[in-house]
Amino acid sequence: MDKTRRLARGALLTALALGLSYMERFIPLQLLIPLPGIKLGLANVVTLFAVYFLGSRAALQILCVRCLLGSLFGGGVTAFFFSITGGLLALAAMVLARRLPFLSIYGVSVCGAAAHHVGQILVAVALLRSGYVFAYLPFLLLVAIATGFLTGAVSAACFRAMIAADLPFTSNMEATYVGKIH
Amino acid sequence: MRNDKHTQPRLTLCRGDILAAALIFLAAVALLVYFGTGARGNAATVQVWQDGTLQGEYPLAVDREFVVAGRYHNTVQIQNGRVCILDADCPGQDCVKSGWHKDTGRSIVCLPNRLELRLVGGAAEPEIDGVTG
Repeated sequence: MDKTRRLARGALLTALALGLSYMERFIPLQLLIPLPGIKLGLANVVTLFAVYFLGSRAALQILCVRCLLGSLFGGGVTAFFFSITGGLLALAAMVLARRLPFLSIYGVSVCGAAAHHVGQILVAVALLRSGYVFAYLPFLLLVAIATGFLTGAVSAACFRAMIAADLPFTSNMEATYVGKIH
Repeated sequence: MRNDKHTQPRLTLCRGDILAAALIFLAAVALLVYFGTGARGNAATVQVWQDGTLQGEYPLAVDREFVVAGRYHNTVQIQNGRVCILDADCPGQDCVKSGWHKDTGRSIVCLPNRLELRLVGGAAEPEIDGVTG
């Protein structure tokens, strides 16, 4: 795939991820679970897509640009550290989990969500210079299981439709997919 | 890596996923046990930590209201042995939403202002919340 196409695809996916994370701000998840730092993580569908179909390098590029732009549009430096640390840990966890033969996209997504929250807590600990914040982690992990399954389900539905529609990137991607869906 | 079975996307829920979720669940429970849950004693004091340093300590027995300044401002209220952040000019307002707290070991956090209100002390005594007569 030539450079221009790759750039356009990356830009499109970054925009999609930014749109999703902006959209989910309007979902009042905090009313259901009153914990700071809780979100659905719909932008993770884009990262999952990149991990599965485009390879980890493209996923990393999209993630970095997304976090940078996201904090420019709103949030600032603090938000940037939160999203980049959470995002990088989640990406690393998902790239590793993707290699485990006994995990489906659901398991990969749950691992990513859990890692994301570990990252957030690490930033909070660094900012406050207080280990007390670790006490939040178990609650965030429990929520991550639920949100991870949810974004996993959304991704599975999207990917199935994409593969069924035989979109170009699902058949001749650099990194991964060969064969049928399970 | 062509025709490698492991590189095919698995899109249906399988046993491994449940196992991964169970492991995370167990980790969460282990952390909960480690940090202590369940009934706690009422705290005696609230410590005001900002940027990792102790700014002051206030007994919960005395009602008061004060403002912690920094990057932002948090109005802290102590009333009837409980503490809350009444008002703040930080962007997220998570600290205000977290409401009233009185149990020892809990903390209220305002990350934008790097503020942590830590509830300490008073756990040693057995809980006597119902002495009547």
